[in-house]
Amino acid sequence: MPEVVRVPERGDVRRARSAWAGVLAGVGVAAFVDETVFHQLLHWHHFYDRSTTDAGLVSDGLFHAFGWFALVFGLVLVADLRRGDRLSGRALAGGALTGAGGFQLYDGTIQHKLLGLHQIRYDVDLTPYDWTWNVVAVLLLAAGLLLLRRAKVA
Amino acid sequence: MHDGHVLVFLALAALAAYELGAWRLRDRGDRWPPARDAVFALGVAAAIFPGVPGFTGHVVQHVLTGMLAPLLLVLGRPMTLLLRASPEARRRLKPVLGSRPVAVLMYPPVAAGLEAGGLWLLYRTGLFAAAGREPVLHVLVHAHVFLAGLLFTASVCRLDPVRHRVGLAPRAVALIGAAAAHAVLAKTLYRTPPPGTVLAAADRQAGAELMYYGGDVVELGLALVVALTWYAARGRAARRGQPPTWMPGRRAGSFSALRMISRTTGAVSPRPRIR
Repeated sequence: MPEVVRVPERGDVRRARSAWAGVLAGVGVAAFVDETVFHQLLHWHHFYDRSTTDAGLVSDGLFHAFGWFALVFGLVLVADLRRGDRLSGRALAGGALTGAGGFQLYDGTIQHKLLGLHQIRYDVDLTPYDWTWNVVAVLLLAAGLLLLRRAKVA
Repeated sequence: MHDGHVLVFLALAALAAYELGAWRLRDRGDRWPPARDAVFALGVAAAIFPGVPGFTGHVVQHVLTGMLAPLLLVLGRPMTLLLRASPEARRRLKPVLGSRPVAVLMYPPVAAGLEAGGLWLLYRTGLFAAAGREPVLHVLVHAHVFLAGLLFTASVCRLDPVRHRVGLAPRAVALIGAAAAHAVLAKTLYRTPPPGTVLAAADRQAGAELMYYGGDVVELGLALVVALTWYAARGRAARRGQPPTWMPGRRAGSFSALRMISRTTGAVSPRPRIR
């Protein structure tokens, strides 16, 4: 069997860039959905919770600021890759799901639970909400990582 | 209303100077898009927006003067206009713009530190209460908020010609850092008032939320400027570097050959082209 020497080539760079564009856009979209749907439309999340720690405020500020930038820059990165015909759709989708799932998992575990930033909803039994939130996050993350692996094989 | 009159006078002078410059350019046949005149005028209006009573009113003024006005003014590219309209100003300003202090101040993380640091000092020390008592201090604080916002916005956007180039990373880090510091500050104001002040809780919390979300709108605008200028610069670099086979309707024409020659001979301006 002839040995195939794999060197980093254009295809790898192309996939890596597409995946990173996806991760940024994914984090941005997840942060955007969190803010518009859960804060503004449903009013489930609260702006501030008396149990919020200082670390929680810093984490919220950083991810909030990063989320907007990631959304804008991720989309512009996609546009840049597209005009050069260097966009890998599968790597982009994989990156986006990974980014969105990763952010949601961080939000649902570290920010909501550990740092007490705010809870998903108030005056209800939180258990089903927390489980749904984090299971969805893990599913998104797993689907994203699977797609990224497939993109590499293809 | 003495302060108000001075502000209106300064604003009218800035507008008149801008329009004089734009008229000069257009008179000699240069292109100067009317949209720039419009955003600059809106920026001037936002900068002199009068204070409204109450903490929420104060935050409205803070967002307009310190954040939105700088963005609109910078989009009007006043420095480009000045350098192009007046050879005298160009001769005098060139060494200043190329100087080391300007380079340091215009380095995005430094400008972000000046802006965010100033805001933290204002709201988390006794400065806010003191500025409420001392009219002179109030004017100084207000001027600092505006000027630091302008410096920060100009350093991140870099639309006007700047002698020292800065990569994407320091601009992005400065923008995210300053926006995060602003968001955290807004939430601390939701929790506790600035030291030495007594504010109605509802007013203070409405103001804090306005500060948080008003900051978002301006951050979004800044992120768009950073991302789109990066996109345009990438496009220009690609057109210069290789035959743009991937661009429909464009061929590797004489102009890229010309650029290639000027690059190999080193006859290329170290300064970004004045657009």
